[in-house]
Amino acid sequence: MTALGAPKQAGGFQPPTAMGIVLSVVLIIVALALSFLLVQTAGLVALIGIIIGGVLIGFGVHFVPVGGAPAAMGQSPGIATGVAMLAAGAGLAGLFAGAWAAPLGLAIAAASGAIGGGLLMAITCTMVNVIYVFGMGIPAASGKVAKDPITGDTFPEYKSQGTEGHGLPFISWVGGVIGGALGGLGGTLIYLELLGIYQAQLPVILGATVEQIAPVAVSLAGIFAIGMFLVNAVLAAYNITGTIEGPHDPKFKRFPRAIIAAAAASAVAGVIALGLFQLLGVF
Amino acid sequence: MTVKVEVGAGGVPHNKVMIYGLVGSFIFLYLTYLNTYLQAPYLAFFGGLAAVAALVWGADTIKHLCSYGLGTGVPSAGMIALGSGVLAALFGATTGVLTPIVTIILAAIIGAITGLLANHVVRMDIPAMVSSLTELAIVGAITVLGLATMACGTFEFLGMITGTFTFLGFTVQTYGMSVIGGGVIAVIFMLGAIAIQHAFNACLGPGEKQDRTLMLAAECGFLSMITVAIISFAFIETYAALLAFLVSVIGWIYTYKRYIDLSKRDAYAWLDAKPIIEPKGGA
Repeated sequence: MTALGAPKQAGGFQPPTAMGIVLSVVLIIVALALSFLLVQTAGLVALIGIIIGGVLIGFGVHFVPVGGAPAAMGQSPGIATGVAMLAAGAGLAGLFAGAWAAPLGLAIAAASGAIGGGLLMAITCTMVNVIYVFGMGIPAASGKVAKDPITGDTFPEYKSQGTEGHGLPFISWVGGVIGGALGGLGGTLIYLELLGIYQAQLPVILGATVEQIAPVAVSLAGIFAIGMFLVNAVLAAYNITGTIEGPHDPKFKRFPRAIIAAAAASAVAGVIALGLFQLLGVF
Repeated sequence: MTVKVEVGAGGVPHNKVMIYGLVGSFIFLYLTYLNTYLQAPYLAFFGGLAAVAALVWGADTIKHLCSYGLGTGVPSAGMIALGSGVLAALFGATTGVLTPIVTIILAAIIGAITGLLANHVVRMDIPAMVSSLTELAIVGAITVLGLATMACGTFEFLGMITGTFTFLGFTVQTYGMSVIGGGVIAVIFMLGAIAIQHAFNACLGPGEKQDRTLMLAAECGFLSMITVAIISFAFIETYAALLAFLVSVIGWIYTYKRYIDLSKRDAYAWLDAKPIIEPKGGA
């Protein structure tokens, strides 16, 4: 980024191209129209829920402190793995927690999903710091800011030379938990919307009771929620390009791009998932 | 930007690998359709072979995409491939005999959209992004469809959601004992996601050779096939599942041996050492 002759970046990051914005808006509108045509108002409401879920996932990923390979050697702060892996872990944990609470209603299930995702990240972040501090003997020090915005701890005197910081400062821990909670909430929201649609459609198509089709509806909603979760998480990971320390990292300001991309991608994926049974038995 | 991931030059051109992978997996998928004319799904294993053909192609695509240095790790490419692929595969499965065609077209559309979003909204600005994500979505879709077909003997949606179990001598039809209803689709998802990204993730670096990477991709594919063949004992006739299991094991042993040979070849070339030649007729 600092190389001589590199293109100047407006405000720290390149904004989306006009074509990108137009494409996203058109895709979202077409998807909303299609969902209304295929499954009427219920489809429209479900697709809006799916888009919100996707946006929450794309936004949440930016909070998670991702260290990548350098973190494994204690040369950069964060958890020592890639964005996709961390997001998948938090999202799936959230999805399990939310799916378990699905019969208790939308609010409780969504809250349960958020707690599940947040809990997984809290445990991961804590254990990462336990290993860093007691196993590798390195203190937590951010390389991007001089002072922790929450605790006020200073970092430069603890930062080793030649590194970008190391360990997991408190602000990154908090970011990880927020990110996990948002991811779990978003994944659960997608799952619940799809489950509602499938539980209404499948008994009619297959001529069976809701209890009989429950395994199919749950499995389909679950696998599609996982698929959409990973698409949104990877798009957000591409937005971050590598490592991020948490909400205090300058890269965090790039999140509007990921929100647009996640909204458009979820709209397209969502309308395909909602229209799953439209061609069943036609050919 | 992060460190450029080194890839070896030379080998079979990517377009050739793509054509072989696409045409091969397409033919293999349609060979499984002949099961409808047989007494038992003896040809189910061709679904697994379709997945292997697609995985070899996918590993080569990931190699091209990741040589640009995404900064997010190679697994993220595998995750977005399967995430978008599973949607296309299950939607395609509802279209009866047209399944492979619809799956490939739909996956290409989803992949192209995610590629455009990655380039124009998230601003990755990587020339190969759109084509690579399109290919990866098709690979992911074929992998899911192929392995699911292998598990239940058919690529038709109703076959994937209905199963039978015998209770006190009576055969009962149920939705729970099926590939989708039983949640096997989630296992297939992860088997495919790991198989697609592992090959290049393991082989990248200086001295990377295309034939070794692709042989590892085929080996991972056969390893996934073994797991799916064991799963398929629950859904299809024992002899058909046994045939699938034997094909998988033989394929795995062959590709594993070839991979070890190629690894030894490259390790020897890398060391720049000369082997000790044993004199003819013993020392």
